[in-house]
Amino acid sequence: MNNPIIEVNGLASGYVKGLNILQGVDLVLKDKEIVSIIGPNGAGKSTLLKAIVGLIPIFGGKIYFNGAELKEIKSYKLAQMGIGYVPQVQNVFPSLTIEENLEMGNWAAKERHKDSFNEIYDMFNILFDKKKERAGNLSGGQRQLLALGRALISKPNVILLDEPSAGLSPKAIDEVFEYINLINQNGVSILLVEQNAKRALKFCDRGYVLDQGRNAYTGSGEDLLNDDKVVELYLGKL
Amino acid sequence: MIEQLGNGLLLGVIIALGSVALSLLYGVTRIVNFAHGEIIALGAVMTLFFSSSPDSSLLFFDRYSPIGINFFGSIVISIILCGIFGASLEIFLFRPLRKNNFGNIAVLVVTIGLSIFLRHIYLLFASAKPSSFILELQRREDYFGIQLTPRNVQVLVLGFIVMILVGLFLTYTKTGKAMRAVRDSSDLASVSGINSDNIILVTWIFSSMLAGFTGIIQGVINNVRWNMGFLILLLIFAGTVLGGIGTSFGAMFGGFVIGVLVQLSVGLEFMDGHTEAKNALALGLMILILLIRPQGIFGTKDRIS
Repeated sequence: MNNPIIEVNGLASGYVKGLNILQGVDLVLKDKEIVSIIGPNGAGKSTLLKAIVGLIPIFGGKIYFNGAELKEIKSYKLAQMGIGYVPQVQNVFPSLTIEENLEMGNWAAKERHKDSFNEIYDMFNILFDKKKERAGNLSGGQRQLLALGRALISKPNVILLDEPSAGLSPKAIDEVFEYINLINQNGVSILLVEQNAKRALKFCDRGYVLDQGRNAYTGSGEDLLNDDKVVELYLGKL
Repeated sequence: MIEQLGNGLLLGVIIALGSVALSLLYGVTRIVNFAHGEIIALGAVMTLFFSSSPDSSLLFFDRYSPIGINFFGSIVISIILCGIFGASLEIFLFRPLRKNNFGNIAVLVVTIGLSIFLRHIYLLFASAKPSSFILELQRREDYFGIQLTPRNVQVLVLGFIVMILVGLFLTYTKTGKAMRAVRDSSDLASVSGINSDNIILVTWIFSSMLAGFTGIIQGVINNVRWNMGFLILLLIFAGTVLGGIGTSFGAMFGGFVIGVLVQLSVGLEFMDGHTEAKNALALGLMILILLIRPQGIFGTKDRIS
């Protein structure tokens, strides 16, 4: 318990070489932990997740997964190794049915295990009811659940979530957070980027505040919520 | 006009097949491939090279006699060669461009250059004269009022069977589903564990084999010439856009409609025998439909591009 599952050291990354958005970020996600990353717009929160899953190039620093350095970072291999990722936008395949979306999530499995599908359907009943419908027809909240299901079906050790509450109704947000909690209780570590900083900090074990591509503050969710400087700069006063 | 229906159905099948192949490649790779016509022509030119009799007057590169093997064997070899050619284009040209983040417009210009380059290689290889496959001449017969040769009917049936098979492949096979997934979002496919590069390679092979098959059908119905693919490329683009960019079923439908309309318009009275103007009506109609429905007949709004 509590071994580092993902460790990021001095990570420099961005979309174009020479224009680093992340300028030496450190982060640790331990086994079975929920870690939140908060910070203002443009701080590099989403970029950090994209860099960890290999969607954008890395220009400096190191990433370790289960203690081993990731040398050649290819997204599809990381997915097969057990790193799940739910992007903020384009998080489902709209022209595929819900069942086909889950099949794509289960791509690396040698055989189609009916049980893995049933587990997802048991968790998200709404997906079972609509399994033959195209994902493009789902509401924002349902899409988010499908995106979670697609990432979960391959039984990852860790899931990276990019603003899962963005654009959802308050009721759908509550539902999504309940599910994230449930997923975590099933033993999956969660790395969460959230715009809704207070909610994220209340919810997580530890939090990181990023600003302009660098670590600004780090601590337990509670400590950060009670830190006057963090409140003043990033959370706003009530 | 009805006397043109037989020719219309034949052109419809050719354009429909060509459109599916183009649309599939565009959907998965976002490449607007102007060299698609040349892959179509490759199927026909290769079949001509393999199947024509060594004793015929045909010479390739003005020097080499054809191989003279069985016609159906030649078709199979040519389609496989088209697949290998498509794979080579992806591995040696388009993948390196993609890895270097070449923009879509720059890649489009590359395909135009490739198209011109390949077309003129065929001109050197197979001469400017139209040639025909070694097939016995057949008379047209009456099929429900439509004039077609028995071979035309076979080609039509085969064309439809191939289109149905393509549809089944995309809908039900794991690879077909992954192609549609990469088409929706290659990043999401990658983070789901799918090797997008492999899927793109398979798409190039599949699309090129389908294009080669289209060219062979075109050669059987009409004749083989160096610029045969280029001549129908505009109609294929029109069919793809009309049906809805990125939808295979739409491309089949749009391509078929464009092909039939082009040929039917030849029989219109005001055309007065000016067959060279036959594309005008179908392409005019395409523009009209797109003004009303920019995403094409079967396209969805998020696929306008």
